[in-house]
Amino acid sequence: MLLQQLVNGLVAGCAYALVALGYTMIFGILGIVNFAQGEIYMYGAFGAVLTLAATGNLALAIVAGIAAACLVGVLLERFAFRPVRGMHPLIPLISAIGASIFLSSLARLIFGPEDRSFPLEFHPGSHRFFGAELTELQLVIILVSLGLMVVLWLFLNLSKHGKAIMAVAMDSDAARLSGINVNAAYVTTFILGSALSGVAGILMAIYYNATAPGMGLLPGLKAFSAAILGGVGSIPGAIVGGLVLGVAENLGAAYLSSHFKDAFAFIALVLVLIIRPRGIMGSSRS
Amino acid sequence: MSVYILHVLIMVSIFAMLALSLNISVGFAGLVSLGHAAFFGIGAYASGLIMIKELGSFPAAFLSAGLITAILGLALALPALRVKDDYLAIVTLGFGIIVGIILMNLEVTGGPDGLVGIPPVTLWGKPLYSKAGFLILCALILGIMIGSMYTLKYSKIGRAWAAIRDNDVTASFMGIDIYGYKTMAIVVSAFWAGLAGSLYAHYTAYINPHTFGMHTSIMILSMVVLGGIGSIPGSLLGAALLTILPEVLRPLADYQDIFYGGLLVAMMVFRPQGIMGRVKITEIFGRSR
Repeated sequence: MLLQQLVNGLVAGCAYALVALGYTMIFGILGIVNFAQGEIYMYGAFGAVLTLAATGNLALAIVAGIAAACLVGVLLERFAFRPVRGMHPLIPLISAIGASIFLSSLARLIFGPEDRSFPLEFHPGSHRFFGAELTELQLVIILVSLGLMVVLWLFLNLSKHGKAIMAVAMDSDAARLSGINVNAAYVTTFILGSALSGVAGILMAIYYNATAPGMGLLPGLKAFSAAILGGVGSIPGAIVGGLVLGVAENLGAAYLSSHFKDAFAFIALVLVLIIRPRGIMGSSRS
Repeated sequence: MSVYILHVLIMVSIFAMLALSLNISVGFAGLVSLGHAAFFGIGAYASGLIMIKELGSFPAAFLSAGLITAILGLALALPALRVKDDYLAIVTLGFGIIVGIILMNLEVTGGPDGLVGIPPVTLWGKPLYSKAGFLILCALILGIMIGSMYTLKYSKIGRAWAAIRDNDVTASFMGIDIYGYKTMAIVVSAFWAGLAGSLYAHYTAYINPHTFGMHTSIMILSMVVLGGIGSIPGSLLGAALLTILPEVLRPLADYQDIFYGGLLVAMMVFRPQGIMGRVKITEIFGRSR
């Protein structure tokens, strides 16, 4: 029972961690929270579901879902974030909130408010470990998420574009003086963050077999809590925060109260802010 | 006046109170809240329950609603104000969601069905059934609120809030107790939102958790931003516009949220100060725009 809750929590936590990485990267480089991260997750899921329904090709659907998420991310950066960069913090914040509302209500209008099931049925086998059941689907979700985290780490630390992002995150003026194209680094960050959220959206659309315009709100908020829990701006922090949150939430729902499942993430958030505002992995706050 | 126009005017005055109260935290002190409707809801439930359980008459229920909401505002502010800007916005959003979940699950609040049969406002022992009378009561309270907003804005407290909003580091060098003043902003903001909630509960006689969700929080924020962040006439104008427009444009109700979202982005990109931002009330008349 306990181990089963751990497994289920780990799967949900992988999705939170992927979305939290998007938050942390965009925050690290721009200093603002992309409120629409959950909406990007939702558009990724819809991109995959609609393409799959139309073509029946799973690989194409996954590519289309990720592309949809990236497109939304790039448009957001261009129209809601770039024009207000460097202004009083209230202004980009409200712009981001507006963009998030706009995107989710637009989706409700285009796709309709009801849940859609995933157009392909999976009948994964399952394995038992010490009494806990781990389906092959859960295993794939965990492996894909961990793989993407490793790829992200390699990209940021070894590639030229990745290093440019890290430089802009540290000091955008100094990076500009060294000849780094700062705007390109912002766009790359949005593409990376959006792609990760898009993948999370697709994985969860398969896992829960449900896609709806409102599906991004709670995972978006919980992933944000995860980013704070792990330490804002810290990439390992986002991963640890996501996994811890997913597990804590499932344990809370199983042993305390399932009605309040969605509240646990925010209660955890408030507790972290009181006890250790810089998060689990965060360095001291400025 | 027709009953319908009276109804719209009552809603305008209740939302004007909400916009003004949110303007205290967002506009005066620069603390963006996405959970303001939760305060509205707490006030509405508190006042409704007090009168349903016959614990007190309307004036007592009204004031208790404000005080109870202020206390919960304090409970939110103490942990939430350890973070600022975007983080604060998310924490308040989380607060709004938690309050929604609690209202949905508690027995005393009626769960998803909400509170039914909330008694009307009673003044001097007599129930106030007429809409015109209720409108006058709302207008009076709104008038008192507008007066106190101006007093507050230009008081020592209001100037401290403005200093914190514009630059908190400089403000702390000036010896301003940032944490204390920010807490005060949330508490005062919650108090007035609670009073607005009380009026709403006794006006509609029926409330449910759905009314006090994120949609309403965003709507109140849109009112403040549209009118001009920090501007008192701006909040009034924003509340009037965004309450009357959906009534006029009923066929377009499906597009309402898209409009709010687009409006927030467009205002920030093209006119971040809002329609009336940083303009004194005496300068509004005789201006070309």
